Amino acid sequence: MALHLNLLHEQISEQRQRQRDPLKIGVMILVGIGALLFLYYGWNAYRTLAIKAKLSAIERDWSKVEPKVTAAEKRSAELNGIVKTTAVLDDYIEHRFFWGPFLEKLARCVAPNIQLTSVEGNVFEDKGVIVTIEGVAAAREPRSAAEDLRQMLSEQLSQGGYADVKVEFKALDDLDTIANVGGQSVAMAHYILSVTFQPEAAKGTPTQPRTPKR
Amino acid sequence: MSQVRLSKDQIQKVALTLVGFVILIYVYFSFFLGPLNRSRNAMLATIADKQSKLDSSQENLAKTAKLEQQAKAATGRFAAFKALSPEGAPIAWFPPRMKSFFANQQIDKATARLENSVAFKQPELANWMKYVWLIDIPQADYGRLGKAIAELENLEPLLAITKLSIRFSGEQPEFQQVVLSATTVIPKQ
Repeated sequence: MALHLNLLHEQISEQRQRQRDPLKIGVMILVGIGALLFLYYGWNAYRTLAIKAKLSAIERDWSKVEPKVTAAEKRSAELNGIVKTTAVLDDYIEHRFFWGPFLEKLARCVAPNIQLTSVEGNVFEDKGVIVTIEGVAAAREPRSAAEDLRQMLSEQLSQGGYADVKVEFKALDDLDTIANVGGQSVAMAHYILSVTFQPEAAKGTPTQPRTPKR
Repeated sequence: MSQVRLSKDQIQKVALTLVGFVILIYVYFSFFLGPLNRSRNAMLATIADKQSKLDSSQENLAKTAKLEQQAKAATGRFAAFKALSPEGAPIAWFPPRMKSFFANQQIDKATARLENSVAFKQPELANWMKYVWLIDIPQADYGRLGKAIAELENLEPLLAITKLSIRFSGEQPEFQQVVLSATTVIPKQ
């Protein structure tokens, strides 16, 4: 067997030592991991850029539509407000009490021997309408004439569509004064009638609002 | 099997490498991948939001167009209600209007004065005010007054008479003294 002499033993040993340097190996591993991480980051960055491009396109579309949508939303809110306000105003108009028909009914009840001296009426949201009628009646039986007025008024108002009609005397007194009705001297009575009713059952005929002349 | 024995110097280098690895991971996730992911997630959320807005925008536009059609009658009525009240303070135009109205009904000397004005509690009428007026008619024939009141109630839909007082006038029995308390609904100026 031939004898081999290794004259470079020290150099080879040093070289092996250098190759086994943990710092060098570690740095190489770190560089490898770093490269992988960089690639992963690059992939993510690419995806993010694609998303950003998509976002830009959507924002461009949105910027075209947004003014229309904002205007539509504003108009929609305005229209809803108008509809609600109109509904409330319509309700207000429908729930008004119309004095015209009431005064007409009252006029129908007044016979020639009856005189009204005062009519005081109030509309209450909760109690309905309260009217106080004061006047004088002249007849042979003046109290009977006043009672006729009371009954006729009650009948007229009930037929007129008002609800819960109550016509009551608050006062009915004979007067000393004598009146001349149709050439006959007749006695007189003073009366005060309290009229209460609910106007809900009867409605006037509200017209469409007309634009006033300016 | 040969056992690798590390010298003290080598152990230090391995430890240094591990520290370097930890720092690399920390820097990578904290300063690179983390912000990138956050930014991407934020963009995805914005895209979802904008996309839903875009999807609903067509629906909203269609709804508004439909509402515009449906509310045509209401907008017409609303405009008519507003047109009932001229520009300017109501106290400047309402009393002359009442005076001329009753004069046209052949009832002279009618005067109107403002008793009070209040805002409505309903949010729907936030832009409207309630005015209470006292209309004084010193001399009126009952029949003519009744017709005038009926005409007024029909002509002024936003006017409601809440109090009525008709009194016999002693000197001229054919005429009555009348006081009306009327409430009007007028847009805020």
